[in-house]
Amino acid sequence: MSRKLRVGLKYCGGCRAQYDREGFVGRIRCALGDRIVFLPPDDPRLDFILAVMGCDSACADLSPYRNRRVRLIIITSEQQGEAFLDELKGDSR
Amino acid sequence: MPMMNAQQYEESLRKLNLKVYMFGKRVENPVDDPIIRPSMNAVAATYEFAHDPRYEDLMTATSHLTGKKINRFTHIHQSTEDLIKKSKMGRLLGSLTGCCFQRCVGMDAMNALSMTTYDIDRKYGTEYNRRFLKYLEFVQENDLTCDGAMTDPKGDRSKAPHQQTDPDMFMHVVEERPDGIVVRGAKCHQTGAVNSHEIIIMPTISMRAEDQDYAISFALPADAEGITYIMGRQSCDTRKLEGGKIDRGNQIYGGHEALVVFDDVFVPWERVFMYKEWDFAGQLVEQFASYHRQSYACKAGVGDVLIGATQCIAEYNGAQKASHVKDKIIEMNHLNETLFCGSLACAAEGHKEPSGTYFVSTLLANVCKQNVTRFPYEIARLSQDIAGGLMVTLPSEEDLRSPEVGKWVEKYFKANDAVSTEKRMRILRLIENITLGSAAVGYLTESMHGAGSPQAQRIMIARQVNLKEKQKVARRLCGIPEDE
Repeated sequence: MSRKLRVGLKYCGGCRAQYDREGFVGRIRCALGDRIVFLPPDDPRLDFILAVMGCDSACADLSPYRNRRVRLIIITSEQQGEAFLDELKGDSR
Repeated sequence: MPMMNAQQYEESLRKLNLKVYMFGKRVENPVDDPIIRPSMNAVAATYEFAHDPRYEDLMTATSHLTGKKINRFTHIHQSTEDLIKKSKMGRLLGSLTGCCFQRCVGMDAMNALSMTTYDIDRKYGTEYNRRFLKYLEFVQENDLTCDGAMTDPKGDRSKAPHQQTDPDMFMHVVEERPDGIVVRGAKCHQTGAVNSHEIIIMPTISMRAEDQDYAISFALPADAEGITYIMGRQSCDTRKLEGGKIDRGNQIYGGHEALVVFDDVFVPWERVFMYKEWDFAGQLVEQFASYHRQSYACKAGVGDVLIGATQCIAEYNGAQKASHVKDKIIEMNHLNETLFCGSLACAAEGHKEPSGTYFVSTLLANVCKQNVTRFPYEIARLSQDIAGGLMVTLPSEEDLRSPEVGKWVEKYFKANDAVSTEKRMRILRLIENITLGSAAVGYLTESMHGAGSPQAQRIMIARQVNLKEKQKVARRLCGIPEDE
C-alpha cells in the first residue's frame, strides 16, 4: 500500500454494546499498524467512514455523512467486525 | 464555551461560593471534601464522556436555539429520537459510574418548563417562554449543571400549602418588588445540589387559587445570597474518610442529596418562569415528573454494574456453574432489561407539544417508574443471595493489611484458587455499596421515591388507561350486548 488508509471513526453511544467496540478498533490498529490512521468522521480526506455500532439497532446519527462521496461501513457485531478486519488485512497486503 | 470538559467543570465549581453544611459545620471547599468528592466525579463524567468519541453520539445534541453542538443534558428534545437517546444516555452513564450522576433532573426541569411557559403565555399573554429560552441559551452556552428542585417539605400532608401552620413548608413569595420577587422555603432531597451551577425551582403539587403565592417557578445561581445547603447523610458515608479505599466499594463515583434552604432570596423578574398562575402548577409537576420517570433508565445502567459484580462474585466463590445461580443471574438481567424497555417505550411513543418540545408518553413513563420502584430491590436481593453473607460480615481493609491478622483474613476468606482474597473483598464491597451502602440511596430508595413515590405513578396510570374501551371489547367478545 502506497499511503496510509485514512479512516473516519464513528462510534454509537454504546449504551448496551453486545461486544467490545474499542477492542475491535484496537485489533484493526494492531493488525494494520502504521498502514492505517483513524480520523474524525467529518475529516474531508477520508478513504471511508467506519461506523462501529454496539448492537443491531445501529442508532448512531450518520446523517451528516450519508451525502458525502465516501464509503460508509457499518459494523454492528463482532462477527461483522472480524470479517471486515480480514478484508482489510487482505487489501493491505 | 459550548461544552466543558471534566477539568473545566471542576474549575467552574471552585468559583462558586456555596454555603454548605455537613455534620454541623460549614464546608469551605465542597469540591475537595472527601465525602462530597465522589459525587462531583460522577457529574464530571457527564462532561468528560461528551468529549469521548465512544459516547458522544448519546452525550451530545444540536441546540435548536443556536445550532451548536451541546451536552445533551442542556438539550430540549426535538424528536422521539432525542427522547430515545436520552434514555440510552441514562443507561450508559449508570453503567459507567454505578451511581446517580445527578444531572438529569435539571434537563427534565428545563424540558418541562419549555412547554409550560409556552402554554402559560398562550393563555395569559405573559412572556415566560421568552425569558425561559433566554435562560436556556445561557445554560447551553456555558454548559451548566442545573439542579431541578421540586420537592417541598410539605408539612402536614392533609393540608394545602395555604393551610399549613408554617407557611414556609412550601416555597412561596414573601415580597414583590419592581425588579423581582423575594422567596422563602426549602427544597428537600436535592440530588447533586452542591455540584450544580444553577437551581431551578418548580412547585411540588397541583394548586388552587388560594395557593397562588406558592405557584412559582424560577432559576437562580446556586450561590445566590440566602441559599444554604445541608448535606444528607448516606449509609457508610464516613468510610470515605478512612485511609483505604476498598471498603468504599465504588472508589470513584457516588451521589449526594441535600436540603436547600431559601431564606428570603431575591429573584429578578428575568429569572421568573411562573408567578401565581396556580392553574399551571399541576401541568408543570406532571410534565417534569413524566420526564423524570423516563430518566430512571439510569437504574438499568446501575443494574448492569450490579449484575456484573454478581457474576464476578459467583465466579470468585466458585459457584458460577450452579444452575440456580445461573438462573438468578438470568432473572436479574430479565428485570433489568424490563426497566430499560419502559424508558425506551415512553420515549418511542413520545409526541410533539405546541411549544415544539417532544414529550414522553405519560402512561408509559409512569409504568416505567412503577417498575423501577420494585425491580431494583429484587435485583439487589438476588445479588445478595448469590454474594453470600460475607458481604456484611467481612472485616475491614485495615484488617486485611494488618501485620497481625491480615494473614488470617487472607487465608480464611480465600475461595477460588485463581482469585485473590483482596479481589473477592473488593467485589463484595461494591455489591454492598450498591445494595445497602452509600449507592443504595440512589439504586434503591431513590428508585422508590425519586420522581414521585409508587402511589403517584398508580394514580397517573389509573387516570390514563382507557378502562371503558377494555370493558367494551371484553363484553363484545363474550356476547354481552352493548345496551345492557
